[in-house]
Amino acid sequence: MNLSVDITNESEKSIVNLSGEIDAYTAPQLKDAVLPLTKTPEHTVEIDLENVNYMDSTGLGVFISALKSTKEHGSKMKLVNIQDRVLRLFKITGLDEIMDINSAIRGGSE
Amino acid sequence: MTPQSCVTIQKEWDIVGARQLGRDIAKKMGFGTVDQARIATAISELARNIYLYTENGQICFEVVENMNRKGLVILSTDNGPGIDDIGRVMEDGYSTSGGLGAGLPGVKRLMDEFDVQSEVGVGTKIKAIKWAR
Amino acid sequence: MDDVIKLDAANYKDLLKHYIDTQDEKSLYGVEQVSKSFIKNHILPEEIVNLHIQALAELYPEMSEKFQHSMDFLLEAMISYGLAHQEFQMLREKQYEIKSEISVAASMQNTLLGTTKPEIEGLDIGIVSVPAHQMNGDYHHFVKGKDGSLGIAIADVIGKGIPAALCMSMIKYAMDSYPEDSMEPKSILKNLNRVVERNVDASMFITMLYAQYLPCEHKLHYASAGHEPGFYYDAEKGTFTEIETKGLVLGVSSDAEYEQYELKVNKGDMVILLTDGVTECRDGDRFIESEEILEVIKSYEDLPAQEMVNKVYKHFERLQDFELRDDFTLLILRREV
Repeated sequence: MNLSVDITNESEKSIVNLSGEIDAYTAPQLKDAVLPLTKTPEHTVEIDLENVNYMDSTGLGVFISALKSTKEHGSKMKLVNIQDRVLRLFKITGLDEIMDINSAIRGGSE
Repeated sequence: MTPQSCVTIQKEWDIVGARQLGRDIAKKMGFGTVDQARIATAISELARNIYLYTENGQICFEVVENMNRKGLVILSTDNGPGIDDIGRVMEDGYSTSGGLGAGLPGVKRLMDEFDVQSEVGVGTKIKAIKWAR
Repeated sequence: MDDVIKLDAANYKDLLKHYIDTQDEKSLYGVEQVSKSFIKNHILPEEIVNLHIQALAELYPEMSEKFQHSMDFLLEAMISYGLAHQEFQMLREKQYEIKSEISVAASMQNTLLGTTKPEIEGLDIGIVSVPAHQMNGDYHHFVKGKDGSLGIAIADVIGKGIPAALCMSMIKYAMDSYPEDSMEPKSILKNLNRVVERNVDASMFITMLYAQYLPCEHKLHYASAGHEPGFYYDAEKGTFTEIETKGLVLGVSSDAEYEQYELKVNKGDMVILLTDGVTECRDGDRFIESEEILEVIKSYEDLPAQEMVNKVYKHFERLQDFELRDDFTLLILRREV
């Protein structure tokens, strides 16, 4: 299974659309795409996970290093449209409490 | 010891010239067909490195003879970017990288003796010898 | 070795002659054997082509020159194959070397991280921990306290293989330095969190559930650092419930605090602790739901705890065609009396 990463850059925000699975094989690709975006101060990185139906702990690792990087550089990261199965991982690991996560699917209800 | 004969490598076509000259010398020295083919392949690898990665370089041939044997020396000299980590280039598996020096482990296998000297920003000198059996 | 080659070469020539005359299968079988001997003796493809050329020249001295040239052409084409073959050979040897080094490391890991399942009266314990590759990124650990309590740690490092295993050794040594039997689960996690936060790469983290069983009071105290939730089996009702916990994984934030929970364990009740290698089992493309895991556990309810975990492991190993995707650790604790 592959992961496709599609980045749209706006002046103060980058929107990262992910589609596929995030695991040990695709995580490095995600890391290479997301980490550089978190290094601009005041910048917001919005990651759309609507089309990610599987993620393992390696994927969480990428989001953790991205979070650490936003703290270091004064940028922001937002995860949006997370699927239930993936959201469960963020909840178990307690990361939902320290990350900006919005699980509502576009057009759906919270 | 015979005088050196050299081919300057600038165009891809020069690789063929170097192979031809090397093969002629090898044939005259009495190398068999398999060794001739190996020598020609080694020349190709060295010459391609010069052609692909450097502005200027030469492949030279020399016949060395001592008491009991005769050998063909291939010298490759260039003033290209140089190889920083020769150890890594010589590692098996590097050949698939297609980068500078990718063919060198092959040259080492095809020939009997092999030596590289390289300095980043200055160039690379490679000496390889095949002994006639 | 040269003798072998000479013998094979002569053999090759005879077989070739025989085949040209009769086209029989026997000569083809013969050349297959010769070819295997060539491979064993590291004879390169260009040398075989050369052998063929020589054999032909001897058998058919009047062979056309054009045909001879075509054979020389083939020989040239084989040189690079010969090189590639030699390189593969070397890489294969290197791979053997690395494999044997890893297996030494794996057995070292077993010694370093080894823990013995304690014998505690009235408590039946079963544990199975199997790595997906040679080295295990899951970890479990038992400590018997002076007061008769039992400390149980179950942990999972992100990823698997060597990096995960190295990280586990660090955890083990940090834990060894604590007066564990006198510390509460929440303070153990708090301490470990600081060790991990200071010592590992930004993208690395560890989940851990630390539990302490007090046999006199039949109580379980536990705290979780983002670990996969375990289950509690109520023997009287015959039902499973998820053990709910809150707590951040180890290594993310230096000031994380952990909540501690308490559970009363009645006679026949079970506590099931596991890692995500169990819950993330896949049957083909389908994920296994936790209900399914619990059903399997329940089906072995009458067996001793160790046999239960063994059977459950065997069940999921088979379901995944004997290829684990992740390290698998399952621990069952049952109060007997």
